Amino acid sequence: MRIENLAVNKNGFAFDPTSGETFTLNETAKEIIEDLARGVEEKEIAKKLSEEYDVTQEEALNDVLDFKEKLKLYGLLP
Amino acid sequence: MIVAISGVNDTDNPGPGIGVARSLKEADSSIKTVGLSYDVQDPGNFMDFVIDKSYVLTYPSQGWEPIFNRLLYIKESYGLDAVIPTLDAELPSYIKYQDDLKEAGIKTFLPNLEQFELRSKENLGDISEVLEISYPKTKKVFNIDQLKKAVNEIGFPCVVKGNYYKAYKAKSLPEAVYYFTEISNEWGFPILVQEIVKGDELNVIGAGDGKGNSLGLVAIKKMTTTHLGKIWNGVTIKHEKLLKVAEDFVGKYKWKGPFELECIVDEDNIILIEINPRFPAWVYFATGVGVNLPKRVLDVMFDKNSDMSGDYESGKMMVRYTYELITDIDKLSELATKGESNGYKNL
Amino acid sequence: MAIKTYEKPTIIKVESSHSKAGVPMPKQKIRKKIGGVAIDEMVERFGSPLFIFDEKAIREKYRSAYEAFSSRYPNVQFGWSYKTNYLKAVCAVFHQEGAIAEVVSEFEYEKARELGIEGKDIIYNGPYKPYDSLVTAAKEGAKIHIDTFDEINDLEKVADELGSEIPVAIRLNMDTGIYPQWSRFGFNIESGQAMDAVKRIKAGGKLRLTGLHAHIGTFMLDANAYKVETTKMVRLMNEVEEKVGFTIEYIDVGGGFASKNHLRGIYQPPEVVVPTIDDYAEAITSALYENIRGNSYPKLYLETGRHLIDEAGYLVTSVVASKTLPDSRRSYIVDAGVNLLYTYFWYKFNIELTREISGISEPAMINGPLCMNIDVIDESILLPRLRRGDKLVISPVGAYNITQWMQFIRYRPRVLMVTEDGNVELIREREELSDIENREILPEKLKLK
Repeated sequence: MRIENLAVNKNGFAFDPTSGETFTLNETAKEIIEDLARGVEEKEIAKKLSEEYDVTQEEALNDVLDFKEKLKLYGLLP
Repeated sequence: MIVAISGVNDTDNPGPGIGVARSLKEADSSIKTVGLSYDVQDPGNFMDFVIDKSYVLTYPSQGWEPIFNRLLYIKESYGLDAVIPTLDAELPSYIKYQDDLKEAGIKTFLPNLEQFELRSKENLGDISEVLEISYPKTKKVFNIDQLKKAVNEIGFPCVVKGNYYKAYKAKSLPEAVYYFTEISNEWGFPILVQEIVKGDELNVIGAGDGKGNSLGLVAIKKMTTTHLGKIWNGVTIKHEKLLKVAEDFVGKYKWKGPFELECIVDEDNIILIEINPRFPAWVYFATGVGVNLPKRVLDVMFDKNSDMSGDYESGKMMVRYTYELITDIDKLSELATKGESNGYKNL
Repeated sequence: MAIKTYEKPTIIKVESSHSKAGVPMPKQKIRKKIGGVAIDEMVERFGSPLFIFDEKAIREKYRSAYEAFSSRYPNVQFGWSYKTNYLKAVCAVFHQEGAIAEVVSEFEYEKARELGIEGKDIIYNGPYKPYDSLVTAAKEGAKIHIDTFDEINDLEKVADELGSEIPVAIRLNMDTGIYPQWSRFGFNIESGQAMDAVKRIKAGGKLRLTGLHAHIGTFMLDANAYKVETTKMVRLMNEVEEKVGFTIEYIDVGGGFASKNHLRGIYQPPEVVVPTIDDYAEAITSALYENIRGNSYPKLYLETGRHLIDEAGYLVTSVVASKTLPDSRRSYIVDAGVNLLYTYFWYKFNIELTREISGISEPAMINGPLCMNIDVIDESILLPRLRRGDKLVISPVGAYNITQWMQFIRYRPRVLMVTEDGNVELIREREELSDIENREILPEKLKLK
């Protein structure tokens, strides 16, 4: 799992020092990556998002799952 | 003085932007250059010794409005006095909307639409007549039947080319049909079938003031090229008749702005094969031999007196080479997340 | 803790194929209103998807086109091309503005009559006109434009039946330097076929040639082709009047003027490549003045459709779902598909949002609701992350979609017109089961219990 290694800067630019790939990401994505790296459960992340933002837990959970799909496609998650 | 320049893709298929920017900086180090880039990874975005600040733009195919708004944003946030577009794809927009830019206080120096249409291959026959040079036998075709007739008449090998872009040498009918389809699918009709003419390819860079006067001309011969046909090494030449043709072109059509003429020359027989209504990628070659056309164009734009002499020496060589720049990934980060680089200090 | 505005999580790889994904530009294109009325409100009231026409835009476009021609050549008449959009409300706007009707089938002819247009104000074109419809059109004094020699025979029979001479025009085709040449309609000028048709009509003695018609192509980006067309038509007119003795009262140069739509396969944007109406008008009227001999100036007819209506029509559709595709692109599924957007096959549409959405843009594909792989409205567009229910405004879609849409697996949606005074009128109701079932007959023995 490479997300632990991602160096995300304040502009939302991420560099993966192991693969050399670069990404841009938004604040929500950054938060989810940090949580995933710490081993937080998907449902728990969705709950946190719904408490912090104007989004339902159901929508947030779909987004987390979809986001994980994307991270896998980018090779950032196994 | 802040000048925006496009075509900062200084790759193995280079745009003219870096040559233009370098010419301006060498003539007057107080000029600030703004790179107009279509890709965050364009080398020009990282070459802070030539480009002071870069902005990422939407492609011209997305319409004029986003580009115009971007230029207004640059003017407001950084300052912008003039823009020099250098890429074929963006010229139609800039030429059509040059008055809008003028109203917004951004100067350009471009041909009008009528002059711009001269580059159409359909028109080269007429231009050749006006310039009193020869023109190869050419047939305009719209379908395969007409293509067959045309290649029968002209014979093989022949050149199959689009009206604005692309040209291929065809050695057989199947090849001609293949190129016909390939070019028409991408660029539409007409397709031109042309006889192959003997001679060397020679090129002339120049600029006109729009009143019939030349701002300077330099003729060259490409000595080596890349597999895309881009010049790698070249040498300046003084072919009197060729230079006269270029001067007549400026005079008779009152050409305004930069241009490049591509010609096939067999002793005194000159054939015009292409007019590029912009600076070529090798623009710095002319600057290096004393004919700084970007600076002259900028001077004319601002009604300043400039050195307009046509003098240069033949036998001067241009040698292109590769060079590596090592920088921090932060620059890419700025471009990728903000769409513009930090303003660099002018070193 | 204050609740923050939610932005869906987005991550994009920086790569040259999507060099601008993630960059906070292009600026999102936002359209909140059509004809001054909020799009969100219309969707709330009438549902989604919705076709919306802007009456004011139609009238303004018509007036500027009419002005471009009439200021140069006063004896001009527009005919509204029914096939481009034959919604009653749309046709009525053009008729109120002074356009007559241009139809290409007996169905369109009946539609125009039903709307209250008199036969004399109908131009009847097309390669196939059923015999009965020719009888009706001749009786009612329509302008019949003959496409074939067979049709000359039919019309002579009609003349016998009615016991009177019928005024007619012939459709012409010619080389205007445009490819493809629309040579399958009418009579060719260069080969002499057109002159043969004129002589054939004269020899029959039952029809009187009063007009010449042509239509050289569609979405014409070269205004000069019209100059060639008009020149050839006027020269033929001169020849016909001199050699055959018919008096040509009108020349109908057809339509084909482009709209500000982005043709697939053409790199440059429409504002750069599409000629202005003045370019077209100048090409046509200058050819008239340069070639007309003597003092009789025939009436000029125009049948431009797309140019007048395309940009006044919008399709509003809503996001119903989204997913990540295996190539990492996002797919949005929306509630309107290519069954409603026939012109998708040659245009890349302008797609706008009805609200600003913060966040970075990512490459996305917009898919319709059909169970077909071809249901793609845009295969590559940069969009910020949309939420369910977000709306996309697709334009220009005013031309040809309403007439060429398909009732395939779904009901066709409502069509609205925002009127000049800002009212919203429902001009076509959403289809329902009975609309489709009414025409079907289930044999008795197949009836299920």
